[in-house]
Amino acid sequence: MADTLASPLSRARCVVCVGPGGVGKTSTSAAIAMQGAAAGRRTCVLTIDPARRLANALGMPQIGNVERDVDAAAFEAVGLPPPKGRMTAMMLDIKQTWDDVVTRYHPDPAKKKKLLESRMYVTMSTALAGSQEYMAMEKLYELSCRDEDPLDLIVLDTPPSNHAMDFLEAPSRMLNALDNDATRWLLEPALNKKRTSRKLFDAGSSFFLRTISRFTGAELLQELAELLAGFSGMFDGFRERAKAVRKILEADDTTFFVISTPNTSGVDAAGQFHERLTSHGIHVGAAVLNRATPDPFGGEPCPALDALEAAVVAEGGTADLAARLHREAELTRDRAVAHVEARTSLDNRLDVPVVLIPQLPRDVHDLLGLEQLRRHLFGESSTD
Amino acid sequence: MGPSIPTPDPAVVRAHLARRVHVVAGKGGVGRTTIAAGLAHKLARAGYRTLLLEVDAPDDAARAMGVQPAVDSPREAFNNLWLCRMTPTGSMKEYALLVLKFKALYNLVFENRLVKYLLRSIPSLGEFTMSGKAWYHSEERREDGALKYERIVIDAPATGHAITFLSVARTVANVAPKGVMRDFAEKMAALLESQDDACLHVVCLPEEMPVNEGLDVLKMGVERVRMRPGLGFVNRVLEERFDAEALEVIGRLPEAMAPFASVAQLRSDRERWQSEHAERFAEDSALPTLVVPDVAETTPDGRFDLDTVVSILDEAAGESSAKEAQGG
Repeated sequence: MADTLASPLSRARCVVCVGPGGVGKTSTSAAIAMQGAAAGRRTCVLTIDPARRLANALGMPQIGNVERDVDAAAFEAVGLPPPKGRMTAMMLDIKQTWDDVVTRYHPDPAKKKKLLESRMYVTMSTALAGSQEYMAMEKLYELSCRDEDPLDLIVLDTPPSNHAMDFLEAPSRMLNALDNDATRWLLEPALNKKRTSRKLFDAGSSFFLRTISRFTGAELLQELAELLAGFSGMFDGFRERAKAVRKILEADDTTFFVISTPNTSGVDAAGQFHERLTSHGIHVGAAVLNRATPDPFGGEPCPALDALEAAVVAEGGTADLAARLHREAELTRDRAVAHVEARTSLDNRLDVPVVLIPQLPRDVHDLLGLEQLRRHLFGESSTD
Repeated sequence: MGPSIPTPDPAVVRAHLARRVHVVAGKGGVGRTTIAAGLAHKLARAGYRTLLLEVDAPDDAARAMGVQPAVDSPREAFNNLWLCRMTPTGSMKEYALLVLKFKALYNLVFENRLVKYLLRSIPSLGEFTMSGKAWYHSEERREDGALKYERIVIDAPATGHAITFLSVARTVANVAPKGVMRDFAEKMAALLESQDDACLHVVCLPEEMPVNEGLDVLKMGVERVRMRPGLGFVNRVLEERFDAEALEVIGRLPEAMAPFASVAQLRSDRERWQSEHAERFAEDSALPTLVVPDVAETTPDGRFDLDTVVSILDEAAGESSAKEAQGG
C-alpha cells in the first residue's frame, strides 16, 4: 500500500507543516485539517498568508486573528458531505498577536499603554526578523492551552523558509535581539530608574553610546532604550512561553510534516528539513511532495512515433504535429518517472511515509480542490 | 495563443530604460534576479556603465551570469557591467566608516560584540544602511567628474522586505532628528521618489500568489514609497505548443492514443490558466507588461539564458537586437 498521512495524523494533536516557499503548504495544511474534521475531531487550521481565494473558500474574508467556522453549508454547496467535527480556520495577524500578547501579559498598565502607542513598537512588531514565526508560536500556545472549546487537532502552517530551523529558532533569535547583555549594558543608563535624568545622552553616557549615536542618531537609541524599558517585566514570560511551546513542539502527539516538491532541489530541501528537525528532537511524521507530474501512460511504454503519426495523419494532422505531440508525451513521461524516482530516493533516506501528490489541474483555491488534495494525501484518490 | 496582453508602447519602454535607478521587485522565487541581471546586461550593452546591486542574495545573479559571486564593493564582471552585493553587516560597516572616518575607531566600537548585538536589534537598520549604499553608489563620481555608474539596477529583496527596504529612507527622514542620519535619509528618499530618475519594475509568475504579491508590492511601492511604476514582467510563461486546430485533430485520435490526447490537454490547460493570471497582472497593474518565456524548459541545467531577457527588452523598446542585426 502506498504511503499516506493517515497514520501519522491519527496520532497527532498538533501538526506543523514546514517547507520552502511556493510548494502548496497552505493548501496542504487546510486539506489535512479537513481530514481531521471529517474524522469527527474539533479542528483548527492556522494559516500564515493564504491566497485570497483560498481564504474565502475557508470562510476567512480578512486577516485579523478571528477564528471562523468553515461552514457545513459551504461543503454542501459544492456537493461535499459536511465534516463530522467542527472545523475552524484562522489567518495570523502579526501586529494583532503582538498587541494581544502585550495586552494580556504586561504587568504594568501604565507602561503597557505607553508601549502600545510607541512608534518604535509598531515598527518592531512587524519588521523584526522572526516576529512572524514567534507570533505563530504564541498563537499556537494560546490555542493549545485554552480550556474553552478545546481543540482535538491544530494544524499550523508556517512562513516559507529555506532553513529547517528558522521556525524553531525564531523565538530565541528574536528574544535575544530584544533582551541581551548588550542592550542591558549599553542602555542601562536609560533603563535605570534611580537616575534623575532618564535621558540616555548626557555627560556621563558611555563612549560607546556616543560613538554609535553619531551613526544612528541619539534619538533612535533613546527610543530603542525606551522600547526595551517598556518591555521590561515581560521577557521572563516570553521565555517561559517559548519554552512551553518548544515542549509542545517536541511532544509525542505533535508531528511535523515536511512539504516540498519532487524536483531535485525540492527533494534535497525535504531531506535537509527532516534531518535538521530530527536531530533537534522534533518528531517528523511524513514528507509530502506536491505537484508531481502524472505518467500519461500509467507505467506502460510510450507507443512508437510511427503509430501516433499514422493516427494523427488519418485525422487530418501533419507528421510535424505527431512529432511534437510525441515529444511532449515523452517529456511528460520522463518528468513523471523522475518524480517517482525522487520519491523513492527520499523514501529510502527517511523512515517516515513519503507521499507523492500529483499536480492537480488547477491551483487549489476552493473546497473541491482541497477535497481532491485531501483524498490524495490520505490514499482515497482511486475515485477521481 | 499565449496571454493576450497589450504590446507596450516602445517610447514608454525606452523612457523607463533611460532612468538612472531601476528597482526590480516581486515575490520570492519568481526570477527577480534573472530579470534584474537581464536588464543590467541590456543597459550595459547599450553602452551605459551599469551597476547591478544584489540585496542579500549575492550568489544568484552571479550564477545566472556564470561569474564569481559578488562582493561588498563593485567589480566589473562584464564590459560596462559591475556587480556588487549588499548585506546589512557589510553596508553598516561602510556607512559607519563613512560617518566616523577612522578605521581604528570603527574597529574599537563596532567590532565590539555587545555593540554588534545592539545594532542587530534596531529594526530596519540593516535595510537603512543598504539603501544608503545604493544611494552612495548612485552619486559616485569618476575623476573626470562623470557619474561612475550611469545606470543602477537594484535586485530588491522579496516582497515584504522590499517595501521595508524602499520605505525606510523616507521613514527615517521623517522621524529622525536633524543630523547626519536624516541628511542621508532625505537624499536616499529623494532619489527613490524622483519621478524622472527612478522606477519600480515588478516581476511575477503567471500564478495566483506571485501575481497577488506583485500587485501588492506595486501598490505599496507607488502609494507608500511614492515611486514611479516601471515595467511589469511575467516570467516563465509556457509558449503555445498546440493551437486550436491541432487540439481538434488530437481530440479525434482513437482510444489507443488517449494518453497523447490527455498530454496535449494538460499542456493547453496549463497554458490557459497561466494566460488568465498573466492577463490579470497586466490589467490590474496597468504596467507596460513584458512576457518572458519559460526558457528553463529548454535549458535543463537551469542556467538562465540572459540573452532572452535582453532580446525581449530590445524588442519592447523597438530596437532590433544585436543578434538579429547579425542575421542570427
